[in-house]
Amino acid sequence: MNWQNVATIARKDLTVMMTRRSLRIALAVLPVGLAVLFSQIIARGSFQRDSLPQTLNAFLFFFMIYTGALPATIASYSLVGEKIERSLEPLLATPASDGEILLGKGLAALLPPVAAMWAGMLLLMGLCDAYTHATLGYLYFPNWMAAVTVLGLAPLLAIMAVGFSVLWSSRVSDVRTAQQIGTLAAIPGAGLYIGAVSGAFSLDLATLAVMCAILAAVDVALALAARAVFRREDILTRWA
Amino acid sequence: MIEIDHLTRRFGNATAVDALTLTIAEGEVFGLLGPNGAGKTTTIRMLAGLIGKTSGEARVADCRIGDPATARKLRGLVGLMPEEAGLYPDLSAARTLDFYGRLYQVPAGTRAARTERLLTMLGLWDRRDDRVRTFSKGMKQRLTIARALINDPPVLFLDEPTANLDPEGAKTVRDFLLQLRGEKRTILLNTHQLAEAERVCDRVGIMHTRLVAVGTPGGLRGAASARATSIRLAAVTDAVVAAARAVRRAEVTVSGNTLTVPVGQPERDNPELVRAVVAAGGDIQFVSGAVPSLEETYLKLLDGERLDGEKSDRNDKVAR
Repeated sequence: MNWQNVATIARKDLTVMMTRRSLRIALAVLPVGLAVLFSQIIARGSFQRDSLPQTLNAFLFFFMIYTGALPATIASYSLVGEKIERSLEPLLATPASDGEILLGKGLAALLPPVAAMWAGMLLLMGLCDAYTHATLGYLYFPNWMAAVTVLGLAPLLAIMAVGFSVLWSSRVSDVRTAQQIGTLAAIPGAGLYIGAVSGAFSLDLATLAVMCAILAAVDVALALAARAVFRREDILTRWA
Repeated sequence: MIEIDHLTRRFGNATAVDALTLTIAEGEVFGLLGPNGAGKTTTIRMLAGLIGKTSGEARVADCRIGDPATARKLRGLVGLMPEEAGLYPDLSAARTLDFYGRLYQVPAGTRAARTERLLTMLGLWDRRDDRVRTFSKGMKQRLTIARALINDPPVLFLDEPTANLDPEGAKTVRDFLLQLRGEKRTILLNTHQLAEAERVCDRVGIMHTRLVAVGTPGGLRGAASARATSIRLAAVTDAVVAAARAVRRAEVTVSGNTLTVPVGQPERDNPELVRAVVAAGGDIQFVSGAVPSLEETYLKLLDGERLDGEKSDRNDKVAR
């Protein structure tokens, strides 16, 4: 693996992505907007002291599911966009290996949304602490639950969205369809949330750890599947 | 520099390239001519290490194609200009070349110098910081040539480099190809433009899934077409046509005041032909050798290939 090639491809994709206003807005506005919205609900709502921690955890989790659609959006732009522009062939003609191209593109699709997600989560946690400190008598964030959600679940969900998008990008030829299908990657996270809210299981540290383990296994499977799909030969002869 | 031995590629039941055997010497410019679907792009993709082969062998710059151990090295020694420009509309011309230069591991100083030289040669240096989306089709095509040369490759594959360009844009690209020819690179050029092949290529091959004919443009014309003599007269009369036909016992074509008569050996046949035409009352103004164009040669060879194919299909059906 030539890491210089990986970095070159990731940097180029990031440069191209950042020229798109819709993506810049999505990366900046969505996490900040959601953080402000959720914190305002906490500030203006009348929550009991006992139920407040559970609500804060749920909001953080919900925030992660919403922003989890961003990597799928960017990965769709990156791969389907190259298909539309017919720019994959000259890229594949370079000495960069299939794995280096895929990893470079994956990192470019992953890093900005994860960074935006983390920034949004930090803002949400800070604002929630400010609004709930008086009620709780202590700073609820940071805590272990939040750490696992922010540092474990969020990136794993983002990786899943990227892997899912690579698989779908080989089948579709327009960016919107790929994005719409890519957002389906948020469904497992939403399912977990609904399961927790409905009482099927509790959103505690042990549950989050199990979720992380399952997501990590899914991510590995998706990465292997994406690597199998992203082959020069197939891209040039089979991708639509 | 390029050695191809019975190279074959099938997609399912369809054969895209059928037992292609060809050698292209170092510094030679070779043109592959053929209709759409003749297998030209598939050939270039196989030789550039982009897709695999079904059978046969090929070596490009001493790298065996289809060998995973040398695949990366092969791609590093080759410059490819695909049929579709495939540029990033939101990158500038300079950033585009810098990106590809990095992937070819060209050192930073060389990359910058080569970018300046190529963009200057191709008339794009003043627009180096402009986004590609603002470029005309001709400018984009020139940038794709620069991209194919950023690694200074000894072997260059050009797939329809002047397709869809206006005459001025096509001329600019053709002039640059002539310049490249002087740099002693080995170039394989796929084209539909027969005049372009004739001007730029040392040898051409006519391809229709398999290689139908190969040679210099002039040699191919001579080999494929019977020689003919054109006689321009003050007026063409029935007596003159009959006299010409009687001498050569062949189909004589009349176009305006010009007779075209197939001849076996011009040195032997022309004096007799001229005497017969004069005896029939013809006022001869000019006598010249009728040289078939490469286009005529190409169409004739492809027609022959199609007839052979149909005959072979019929034989297969009879055999079954």
